[in-house]
Amino acid sequence: MAREETQNLEADRNLVLSSLEHDQLVRAKKHHIPRRILKGPELAVLWTLRVYLLFMMAVVVYQVWTAAH
Amino acid sequence: MSVGSQPPQTNGIAGDEVVVITHEDVDRAHDRVRVSEARAHRGFFHGARLLWLLVGPGILVMLGENDGPSMLAYAATGAKFGIGFFLPFVVLTFVMAIVVQEMTVRLGAATHRGHAELIFDRFGPFWGWFSMIDLALGNFLTLITEFIAIRAGLGFFGVPPWMAILIALVILYAALMSHRYWTWERITLAAALFNLVFIPVALMTHPHWHAVRHAFITWQPMPGFNKDTLLIVLADIGATVTPWMLFFQQSATVDKGLTTKDIRFGRIDTVLGAALATAAALATILATAPLFAHQMGADNFQAAEFAQALQPIIGRFGASLFALGMVEAGIVASITISTSSAYAFGEVTHKPHSLNLPMGQGKAFYSVLTLCAAAAAAIVLIPGLPLVYVVLLVNVVAVLAMPPALVFLFMLVNDREIMGDLVSPPWANVLSSGVVFILTSAGVLFGISIIAPNIFALLGGK
Repeated sequence: MAREETQNLEADRNLVLSSLEHDQLVRAKKHHIPRRILKGPELAVLWTLRVYLLFMMAVVVYQVWTAAH
Repeated sequence: MSVGSQPPQTNGIAGDEVVVITHEDVDRAHDRVRVSEARAHRGFFHGARLLWLLVGPGILVMLGENDGPSMLAYAATGAKFGIGFFLPFVVLTFVMAIVVQEMTVRLGAATHRGHAELIFDRFGPFWGWFSMIDLALGNFLTLITEFIAIRAGLGFFGVPPWMAILIALVILYAALMSHRYWTWERITLAAALFNLVFIPVALMTHPHWHAVRHAFITWQPMPGFNKDTLLIVLADIGATVTPWMLFFQQSATVDKGLTTKDIRFGRIDTVLGAALATAAALATILATAPLFAHQMGADNFQAAEFAQALQPIIGRFGASLFALGMVEAGIVASITISTSSAYAFGEVTHKPHSLNLPMGQGKAFYSVLTLCAAAAAAIVLIPGLPLVYVVLLVNVVAVLAMPPALVFLFMLVNDREIMGDLVSPPWANVLSSGVVFILTSAGVLFGISIIAPNIFALLGGK
């Protein structure tokens, strides 16, 4: 029984290593991808869109409030 | 399955590195073996088999987005404006969806990482949490509307609300029971194809084909430029491009195990999904267009009211199909949207996140998935809540949240360090920039229509 289990595990290992790319393994995904340093224009775009979204959400809340009243 | 539901095991040594194989790896490897076998042969049959094996995320995301509020938006479009401008406009929105979703296929296949994980890793937790809050809020609001659609659709047949919600939750849970991505995907795909039920419903209304052809060629008649039109424009855009779609398709591409060799099929999958979803969307507009012709006010109509209003025109059978279509739209979307939330949660917290996980190893993943759905379902059962506002605004919120999400996607897909040679070509960047511009402009116009509605009157609207 134990021998059969060992053979199965070995077969699984061979199957996985032969058919998946290395970075597809669950183990490989535990490694983080290095952080990217954001440049000034990129940060400006991200902040602009963040302010845009917050403002528009306030508009939506206002619309719901006026519709409800 | 020889690894069974055992925890990850150290199975062997490759070089100096200990290789740990998990149940998830083994399931994914089995799927990849079938793909490799199909790819090794030539001929029509093997090509078709390869396509069958590789399609899924694209069709699911597109038909999943033809959800409760989306189908209501299309139904309201047909009832309010009839056959005209909105037919080609809806096709345009699906073209935008293809442009956007193709990027997630490339990103997932090239990096084997989910969207939330990439945003956290590349931009850090500060920006990562912003995008997660957008996603979580949008997903939860949308999930509520899915259960509203299910409740209203089954209500047409006299099913009490609590039973309608219970049926939906049982179906959602049943799809998960296989603990196998492939089986889950095929079950959900089969359910999603029922979205096409709107096509026979449209045919039952005997559409005015000459007007349809005229609308596609001329984009006429144009609706008046006013607040109501703008709300429908935003609702129709929000019915095709939303943040959860980005997260879902990329995570599903990774979970399915697609690699860079499969990108072409990922694109076919996305286009095929968009074509099917467009057909269902156009059919819904055509199905409710007779309500416009009969000058029936469809403001604030819900799924059941549309079906009831159509009954004198298409009969009880046609109206029942329409109501069932709404139920299907809600159920499939509740499955895909709650899965998208669970994927993102797992990616951010680095807990196991795959539909290939046995329950024991994926407790957090399955718990988030079912809890999101159950919480949204419970809210729908609270009596007296003004749910109609949620339905009306959920697509608008999706459009507003899209530009920030798209900019992250745009930056990731142009990031040569993670994409290598698969970075977007210039023409794709022009197209995606155009999508960001259209979405942002629509959002700004919506804001102006609320804050300063008189400006619309000055511009010639009502």
